[in-house]
Amino acid sequence: MAQRPFKQVMTGQQTFIDSLRRWLIPFGVVLLILFAVIYPQQIDKQNIWNLFFLICLHTTLSQSWNILAGFAGQTSLGHAAFFGIGAFVTRTLWLDETPFSLAFIAGGLAAAAFAMLIGAPTFRLRGAYFAIGTLGVAEVLRITVSQNVPFISSMPGPLMASYELAPRYYLALGLAIATTGAAYLLLRSPWSLGILAVREDEGAAQAMGVHVLRHKLLALALSSFFAGLAGGVFAFQQISYYPSAPFSALWTFDALLIAFVGGLGTLAGPVIGAIFFILVRQQLAVTLVEIHQVVFGIFFIVIVLVFPGGLVEAWRHLRRVRWPKRTT
Amino acid sequence: MTKFLDVHGINASYGDIPALMDVSLKVNEGEIIALIGPNGAGKTTLMRVIAGLHQPISGTVKLGETTLHTLAAYQIVEEGMILVPEGRRLFGGLSVLDNLELGAYARRARESRFRTLKRVFEVFPLLAERQNQRANTLSGGQQQMLAIGRALMGLPKLLLLDEPSLGLAPMIVENIFDVVKLMNNQGVTIFLVEQNAHQALELANRAYILEQGRIVGKGTGMELLHNHEVQQAYLGLAPAAN
Amino acid sequence: MSIESFAQTLVFGVFVGGIYGIAAMGLALVFGVLKMLNIAHGELLMLGGYATFWAFRTFGLDPFLSLGIAIPVLFLIGLLLDRTIYRHIVRQLGEEKIKNSLLVSFGLTLVIQNLAIWLFTADERTVQVNYTGGGLNLFGVAFPYARLISLAIALITTLVLSYFLHRTYPGKAILGTAEDFEAAELAGINIHRVYMMTFALGASLAAIAGTLVTVIYGISPSIGIVWTLKSLIVIVLAGTGSILGAFPAGILLGVVEAVSGAFIGSTYREVVGLVIFVLVLILRPEGLFARK
Repeated sequence: MAQRPFKQVMTGQQTFIDSLRRWLIPFGVVLLILFAVIYPQQIDKQNIWNLFFLICLHTTLSQSWNILAGFAGQTSLGHAAFFGIGAFVTRTLWLDETPFSLAFIAGGLAAAAFAMLIGAPTFRLRGAYFAIGTLGVAEVLRITVSQNVPFISSMPGPLMASYELAPRYYLALGLAIATTGAAYLLLRSPWSLGILAVREDEGAAQAMGVHVLRHKLLALALSSFFAGLAGGVFAFQQISYYPSAPFSALWTFDALLIAFVGGLGTLAGPVIGAIFFILVRQQLAVTLVEIHQVVFGIFFIVIVLVFPGGLVEAWRHLRRVRWPKRTT
Repeated sequence: MTKFLDVHGINASYGDIPALMDVSLKVNEGEIIALIGPNGAGKTTLMRVIAGLHQPISGTVKLGETTLHTLAAYQIVEEGMILVPEGRRLFGGLSVLDNLELGAYARRARESRFRTLKRVFEVFPLLAERQNQRANTLSGGQQQMLAIGRALMGLPKLLLLDEPSLGLAPMIVENIFDVVKLMNNQGVTIFLVEQNAHQALELANRAYILEQGRIVGKGTGMELLHNHEVQQAYLGLAPAAN
Repeated sequence: MSIESFAQTLVFGVFVGGIYGIAAMGLALVFGVLKMLNIAHGELLMLGGYATFWAFRTFGLDPFLSLGIAIPVLFLIGLLLDRTIYRHIVRQLGEEKIKNSLLVSFGLTLVIQNLAIWLFTADERTVQVNYTGGGLNLFGVAFPYARLISLAIALITTLVLSYFLHRTYPGKAILGTAEDFEAAELAGINIHRVYMMTFALGASLAAIAGTLVTVIYGISPSIGIVWTLKSLIVIVLAGTGSILGAFPAGILLGVVEAVSGAFIGSTYREVVGLVIFVLVLILRPEGLFARK
């Protein structure tokens, strides 16, 4: 009997485990999506619809922020500007008889257009200056809107009458999936190497021939577009709110917090982070109102200091320790 | 009791890139020791390790009985070993006087700093003239003098000098080496890193050669000055005709 | 607009600018020496304000005198924050350091602000003293006592700080560390202690600013971010290397805001500062008062 070489035997076995692992993630994702689609419908309670809605909204916001900050390495603090513009444009058009689907897309496009306008000048700033510069821009928008449109925007009668949570939730869910999908495709695209190179070392990337500005603008375009769409979803869902509210920096900070806690620069990070964030917030908000922010603040500090990769890195670290991967 | 510098088995790297490999050398009290070698050999890295600015991966640095490699840079200064870093590294926005005064910040030098200042001004009268000028308005040579003066304010027992002649005119370099000799006569042990191998070897009692992170040669100043290989590599002399 | 009302606008601009200056100097000090951006600076200011309010409410202490309580309290808090948190970041280098300090201090902002809301409630508090409302009147321009004293305190603080930094031994050590921390270490300066003291000093300056804010405007837990942003604007105007330059830059911002408020209308007054901020960042990042 011819003996198969030892190496070949081992490789054969491992390929099987490998393909099992490889199918695990897509399978898990599908399961998650199915759960997200079916469960709220089955339970059909308002607080569940709201909870899931918030998770999806925050996933979108933080995933879109992640595209710019996690993949391209540009830590912007002005994300709320895109959210706000999307909400503003969508709400204005929709309340003015425009069919929602058009208003929705217009919101996303308007946010992206604004982003492209300020992109080139603001990208001249680096690191912290970029961060505070974008914060400044977002605050300018917020104050301008709050001064010029100070009155509450309320949903008119006929729209109120036909108000249903379910379609709003499924829109948010679809958007969350689309945003994550877009991030996934971006990582698979020919642009991904350039974008990641820009994140790691702009100077080196430029020296290697990467057109730095173009890659940054691409990431910004996607980031702002989806944030704008998220704003449209917000405008669709909220019955009445102050038009300047979605421009508040708190939305940026939430997105930042979630992306970091979940794992900056990963696909799963914003998703896991959003689930974690909203669930914990719900729990804590029952007891002491503001304590959840304190908890997250502390969490956040610990993560920046100890585990910059967030929960995802902590999980990977754990896996590596308990199930060491074979090295080829 | 001869307090001396004992560097043993130093390995150091920048991230994954190794810079020093198993470097060992000794400096005896009262000596002038030179370290020569090509650019990028790791001379500055070694100085930084000894002075406490860079953590070695392994190896020891001792001054007499005291272990230095576990101390922070400012604590090493407290032990009496002071580095004049490459490129001067002055406090440019502060005055000459402030720069000098700060050189005596260590506890052992602080009390007597005004007395020390007088002595430094005797050695460098130029600095006395310009004491209220901002340090970054001085010329290169004056800045180097200020850097050395600042180190002297700390009352060093062992003075480390990293490329003191870099970018300076020959006459100024002469001045500086004169000061180094003077300091040595007054009891300061000197450890000198120099591109200017000729003058360094003339001045030094003993010297080491560092190439690509390793000690590849050592001897007295005279021995190395007359060594053919050293002459070709570092003294710019053509190989012998035969 | 009459000469008098224009002069009044200017004067009030200078008054508020003085507070901007003090607030910004604390942040500029930390940024200049530790090379870190402490976004929680406004929260420290807020805490200083509350310390003053509490001293006023509990002991009936004149708010300006309660600086004697607010300053040490914030000094200690500054020491604590440096020892526990910022110490770990100060060892990093360059852009990473600034970015991480920004993030960590953001987390701190959440913690401090929400703790304050929980402890003090979100209501605004004010401090009323018997000279509130009174003031001098010169050439038809009002100079309220409270604001005069605030400006005086701000000026005195700036002078004291300047003296400390430029003429005392530890002050010079701080300046040296700011210029070149390795060279400072080589001179025998314990830079870790310098960092800690400087951070605590920055917190103390925040306490002073917070006290002045409480007296003039009142205090609530949410003012932190507003003042952090103001301080950032002033720092960028002054140039990020400049510590004492933050004071005149603050006055400048105050005056510009006041004057544009008078002409464009108060709705855009806040925006003007921010717009100038973004423009200066993009067009002249070394600031308006850059030295080199």
